[in-house]
Amino acid sequence: MIDFFEVIKRALNGPYYSEQDFTLKILVPKLRAVTKKYGIRCDQSTPIPSDDKLADDVFHAGVELAAEVGCYCKDTSRVIRFTADEIQEALRDAPSTPFFGEGRDRKAMLARKPESSDPPYCYVGAGGSVVSSDQVFVRLVEGYGRNPLSDSITCPALTKINGMEIVAGSPLELLACIRAVELGRAALRRAQRPGLPIMNSIATGVTATGKIGGSAFGLRDTDCWVVGFTSPLKVQFGRLNEVAYIIARGGQLVGEAGEPMGGFAGGPEGNAVISVVYHILSILVLRSSVHLTFPMDFRYGCNTSWEIMWPISVAAQAICRNSHHPILNLAYTAAGPMTEMCLYEIAATMTNFVASGGNIEFGGVAKGTSLDRLTPLEPRFATEVAHAAAGLSRVQANEIVKTLIARYKDSLANPPKGKTFQECYDWDSIQPCQEYLDLYGRIKDELAGFGLKFK
Amino acid sequence: MTNKSDLLAELQLAVIEGDGEHAKAMAQKCLEAGIAPTEAVEVGLRDGLRIVGEKFEKLELYLPDMIMAAEAGNEVMQVLEPAMGASGQQATSPGAVIVGAAKGDIHTIGKNILTMLLRLAGFQVHDLGEDVSATTFLEKAKSLKADIIAISALMTSTMPGQREVINLLKDVKERDKYKVMVGGAPVTQQWADQIGADGYSETAAGAVTLALKLMSKK
Repeated sequence: MIDFFEVIKRALNGPYYSEQDFTLKILVPKLRAVTKKYGIRCDQSTPIPSDDKLADDVFHAGVELAAEVGCYCKDTSRVIRFTADEIQEALRDAPSTPFFGEGRDRKAMLARKPESSDPPYCYVGAGGSVVSSDQVFVRLVEGYGRNPLSDSITCPALTKINGMEIVAGSPLELLACIRAVELGRAALRRAQRPGLPIMNSIATGVTATGKIGGSAFGLRDTDCWVVGFTSPLKVQFGRLNEVAYIIARGGQLVGEAGEPMGGFAGGPEGNAVISVVYHILSILVLRSSVHLTFPMDFRYGCNTSWEIMWPISVAAQAICRNSHHPILNLAYTAAGPMTEMCLYEIAATMTNFVASGGNIEFGGVAKGTSLDRLTPLEPRFATEVAHAAAGLSRVQANEIVKTLIARYKDSLANPPKGKTFQECYDWDSIQPCQEYLDLYGRIKDELAGFGLKFK
Repeated sequence: MTNKSDLLAELQLAVIEGDGEHAKAMAQKCLEAGIAPTEAVEVGLRDGLRIVGEKFEKLELYLPDMIMAAEAGNEVMQVLEPAMGASGQQATSPGAVIVGAAKGDIHTIGKNILTMLLRLAGFQVHDLGEDVSATTFLEKAKSLKADIIAISALMTSTMPGQREVINLLKDVKERDKYKVMVGGAPVTQQWADQIGADGYSETAAGAVTLALKLMSKK
């Protein structure tokens, strides 16, 4: 595979385009053409199709598009292009079984296949959602660590440090990044799982300076970073600086992309194809150990709607059938904690991800934006559903997902916000209240009736 | 012979399909058929753009389609605007809006969608891009004679950039000149109230309604 220096050289010297021309004159027409060429059609009546040819066509379309379009560097207005041979070489040489964590909690992430009975790797926690204080941060992360099915942790983001609002790019951001690493490590020690990897490096950080500076205060090379593209198919030097640093220190990273459906990639077909392109660019440009994908339904700020299930499933199937580079799928629910809807949304997305071949990240509760509106019970429920869904056929998963979505689809525009962590949990023991446990138990029983076999 | 309503319908369809060349030709045909340029703007152009916005909300059309429709609208205005000027009429716009992502924020997709929906609703929109400082918002609001300043933020740590704009407007005693709208995933009505914004919307479509409402109060 071509090296990172070559990627930077192309970012500096590749063909010049204005951002608008790259998007509207290169990407959009070529994406539409390749989607048409491969005859890719979405059947919304089947959110999880069982059509291997469709999955393979989506993958081939994505490979072809990646070679035609490349990745746009916003800082230089240059396009980082790759030849078809370089893309094939990257798919051949991409990492396949990365290990994360230390001691008892060291574990490999497998590149699963659709319908695989291999349990998914469970990367769980806050999904970068926001919390009000150091105390909430620590108790949440300890709660995540206590879940035996957690394989790695996604920490929340602090919004204040020493009572002061964190301002991006200011010294407060750097100080808060340092604080977040210290708190995350301490919380996982309290959970008796000191080796559990923190996989989203420092969610509190926005800038490369904040994340790189903060990482020196306790982030390990057995942890992981999340580095993302900008929609559509764009990257910034800030992110590439993080990549350069991570490579130099021998660390690992998740390359992430969340393309909104209805955006520049168009509808479900284009969204599925562009997810494959991101997978390839994640390997080549971001030098990822794992690729994370989270197509979004911008109308609702989540990815649990009926319409978004098809591109998520088809892209996952396409990638998992044709690439040995593992993927994670990330879920954002519309509803908040301690609501039926939130648990149904989690069950639908986890079932989709796992049956389609993905590993799981969970996740963003209440759209991942509402202060303290998240608890350790949602990720615990997500891991249990994800393990129960391993081995389901896509046909079975499709029926379960359709049943679940029908229960909440009419509430997506105005979802229940649910309760805060402090309202749902006992603060000292970090245990859910009885009302939430009853709800959780009732929904699990219901799901068991649909064919999910909880361990 | 084609009647006036057929011509207006064809103009509207060309706009919806984003076919700028055909839309421009149809605008010319409308004038030749004696249709008032203001009627061509309202029925052929504005209604067409409104339909595009509605279809986008239902995911029947996508962001590139909106951009192409807006560009077709610009082509149409190249024909209709001089005709309106010649007859002493003026194209009406609800107002001028500057849109940008707050200082430190590099997320653009929501802002881009808002920009297009505002354009489809007839606003004159100036997109300042991402990572926009408070001083740039102020300078551009002045130079572009904006009615509304719309600021997006997708991170909690970039939300203070929205407040910074409002505080700067107060400091230079220009707060009353502009309506300020805020939005973005972590932004809430409570935050908007706290920083003294004039309005908040959770969705891009709602932000257009809000902008129209704010203009009616100016």
